[in-house]
Amino acid sequence: MVQVCNHSRMATQFITVEIALPDSPAALRQAVLAELQTHGEPLRWAVTAVDSAGQLAQVEAIVILST
Amino acid sequence: MSQRPYTVLLLVPTGIGAAIGGYAGDALPVARAVAQVADCLITHPNVLNGAQLYWPLSNALYVEGYGLDQFAAGCWDLQPVRQNQVGMVLDQGIEPELRVRQLQAADAVRATLGLHLTDYVVTDAPLGVELRTARSGATWGTIQRPDSLLRAVEKVITQCKAEAVAVVVRFPDDTDSDLLQHYRQGQGVDPLAGAEAVISHLVVRTFHIPCAHAPALLPLPLEPHLSPRSAAEELGYTFLPCVLVGLSRTPQFVVRSEPQSGVAPRSHLITAEDVDAVIVPETACGGSALLSLSQSQSTIIAVGDNRTRMQVSPEMLGIRAVRVNSYLEALGVLVADRAGISLDALTASISTLRQQL
Repeated sequence: MVQVCNHSRMATQFITVEIALPDSPAALRQAVLAELQTHGEPLRWAVTAVDSAGQLAQVEAIVILST
Repeated sequence: MSQRPYTVLLLVPTGIGAAIGGYAGDALPVARAVAQVADCLITHPNVLNGAQLYWPLSNALYVEGYGLDQFAAGCWDLQPVRQNQVGMVLDQGIEPELRVRQLQAADAVRATLGLHLTDYVVTDAPLGVELRTARSGATWGTIQRPDSLLRAVEKVITQCKAEAVAVVVRFPDDTDSDLLQHYRQGQGVDPLAGAEAVISHLVVRTFHIPCAHAPALLPLPLEPHLSPRSAAEELGYTFLPCVLVGLSRTPQFVVRSEPQSGVAPRSHLITAEDVDAVIVPETACGGSALLSLSQSQSTIIAVGDNRTRMQVSPEMLGIRAVRVNSYLEALGVLVADRAGISLDALTASISTLRQQL
């Protein structure tokens, strides 16, 4: 379906965030999306490393900024 | 008695330096082998694109990464097609001679392969790609003018009636960079791949239409010691043929929440619930698609010798997976899984049953 959009105010930005590891992988996905959405619209992301001692997931992401 | 199709998702994320699949379509032999075991193989352009080289697999679905993430999350389904009309969007930043090379590649697939292509659109501004490497070692990138890209895609969809979109963007000719030299030696990370994914993700996210990207680059100076894994990208003037072939039969996306005209009955759609097995590099288990499917009934197979720059094993995230050393072993797991044979029964020792207290 074609969306007729205003594309004139858009930029992409690379960010890194840390997420506290939740109980399940599915909950981790939701937690990552929720955190990324505080920075912009998630476009591409992955957990790239895990700090097992601190129970933290390192996430690298590209988000869309609407300025 | 008929059984439902055995469906396998093969993931080799792009731009993370995968030892197998991190170069010029060099996971394609893996895909060919998996397609012999599966009724339906779902995989993505990074696996199937070998620039001038490709291999038609009648039971494989070529699905772009953003769409694959949405599919795995159960938000979008896949509707197989007989063919798509493929439209091209060309970056205004491509020099005239290099643009002609892309157009001749498009004409070649029309005349020689019989693909349906629409007229093409040139962006109203140079897109301005910038390439970067993250701390993890993964590559990424941005384009300075996403607005121009999306206007051009909208035009090729609405005016040219494209059903899938090939985007060709002028990438920097960074011929002296260490990253490129390592890549040509079959080492390190593809310097272009992360930015390519950003481009196609932007299009798929915005328009819910299949898309794939081919970079426009000047030919590199001859390298006598080129790695076989990187060689497919040095055969010609464009990277476009594999993209056009892939998009010509890529499934359409059906968004679950939106009623759409012309959509096949649900029984003809392929959904996340249909995925029986997922194959992924052992250290790259932190992607959206795998996290989504980790809670399903799918058998997850983590392949040890496909090393990547990522450092996320299934155990770190609580994902239950079958660990194997190689894709050869993964193929054996698929055969057993498809037949409903316990993997334990294929080993030398089987533990006795215990009474549940």
